[in-house]
Amino acid sequence: MTDRERASFTAICPDCNERKGTETPNEILGFYRRHRNLTGHDIEWEFVDHESIPTSAANEGLKAIVLELDETFDNGVPLALVTAAMGEQGYSIGETMAELRELRMTGHVWEPKDDHVSAF
Amino acid sequence: MTRWNDGTDRVEAVSPDITDETNALPAEYFTDPNAYEMEKEKIFSRYWVYAGHANCIPETGDFFTRTVGDKQIIVLRDNENDVRAFYNVCAHRGSKIVEDTPMTEPGSMSRIQCPYHLWTYDLDGDLSTTPKSFEEASLNPDLADEEVAKLDDDGNSLLEVSTDRIGPLVFVNFDTDPMPFEEQAGKMATELESLPLGDYQHAARFVSEVECNWKTFGGNYSECDHCQANHQDWIEGIQLDESELEVNDYHWVLHYTHEEDVDDELRIHDEHEAKFYYLWPNFTVNMYGTADGYGTYIIDPIDESRFQLIADYFFETSEMTREELEFVRTSRQLQEEDFELVERQYEGLKSGALAQAQLGPNEHTLHKFHRLAQEAYNA
Ligand code: FES
Ligand SMILES: [Fe+2]
Repeated sequence: MTDRERASFTAICPDCNERKGTETPNEILGFYRRHRNLTGHDIEWEFVDHESIPTSAANEGLKAIVLELDETFDNGVPLALVTAAMGEQGYSIGETMAELRELRMTGHVWEPKDDHVSAF
Repeated sequence: MTRWNDGTDRVEAVSPDITDETNALPAEYFTDPNAYEMEKEKIFSRYWVYAGHANCIPETGDFFTRTVGDKQIIVLRDNENDVRAFYNVCAHRGSKIVEDTPMTEPGSMSRIQCPYHLWTYDLDGDLSTTPKSFEEASLNPDLADEEVAKLDDDGNSLLEVSTDRIGPLVFVNFDTDPMPFEEQAGKMATELESLPLGDYQHAARFVSEVECNWKTFGGNYSECDHCQANHQDWIEGIQLDESELEVNDYHWVLHYTHEEDVDDELRIHDEHEAKFYYLWPNFTVNMYGTADGYGTYIIDPIDESRFQLIADYFFETSEMTREELEFVRTSRQLQEEDFELVERQYEGLKSGALAQAQLGPNEHTLHKFHRLAQEAYNA
């Protein structure tokens, strides 16, 4: 078994099948950004260590998901977990990031620290 | 003799003679975060590094970005049809100008405009226009409009980075006084320039992240002693005993002969021979014997313990035929096999047990690689 297979968080590029496994969720974001910078491809979540994501948030809007996750974190939700929760609803990381940007630009969501988000 | 970190042995510089016991780069240069910090300066800012393929930006104003270490450049086609490179940094107050734009999805612009205060540059990097607020002092009670100096276009142009080419392959050098490109690319440039590389189009790019130091993969690419044991499918048609490893100043070439060949009409290089060029520090050109096309690898470090392999494939057209697709799949398989090997090697290296490895007599290509690293560190 390789590192990739036993990782807690894995994401995949559907265009070129490149898969990335990490131990912390936000490392997936780094992968997403680097991969997109070089190929323009979007990335999808494949597997998330389920304890990190409450499933009750299913089928709510993005802001509701940030609000819900925010209750379990002190200083903002790791951004990648938000994309993972949205991934459960079929959104790619790129799609969630675009929607999140929209929410930030309209003042609904902010970053208490880098790559961590809170809503109000 | 291998040198272990067992409290007795110490490492030494890579010896010029491959038969000496200290013929490898000390292991710490593969695992120490400071080593990569140093390499950003001493290697990636001083030697020529591959930026991308000119065919991807055929029209005036076409561009892509390329990030090398902490530096990002815009590589673009100017009005004279030349390919030039500029730091992606505005001359006004240093804003990043264009978004990250991969070579595979190039952008296009008629002028280079910074989104911050709209300073605008021509495609040759010269400042062409600034908004009125930079020509008039209407908000500054201490200055009259006439006192405002006109910004000189030349003096406020973008910072250009030296470029050179091997056919369609574009290289950049961040040094203000770079070594001549010919010195680094030497015979490799002459050989490749005799081939119609520009007639081929970009067809596929695969980017993989691998958990090891970039030099670990560079070393693996540079020898095929591991092939027999690890690339069963690939070596089938290859005559490994007839292969040759050639060492030059800044590049080395692995020649392989193979049984099968592509159609005589459809071949850009010699019969029965595949050539794999490694150009210091982190670029390879793969002239496959069994497909009419070629590939390139960029072995791009992310940090000391991770790199990205950027694998590009070029064929007659950008639409791949079924055979080409199959060929690329085999190539991807080879990469995955190698990734396992280098990640495994890196796990070993990270344990800190090994102080300085020991290269075999036929690993002279690797020896060259380690010597060049050493030379760069000491420069
Ligand atoms: S920083 Fe670019 S226009 Fe001001
Ligand atoms: Fe290999």
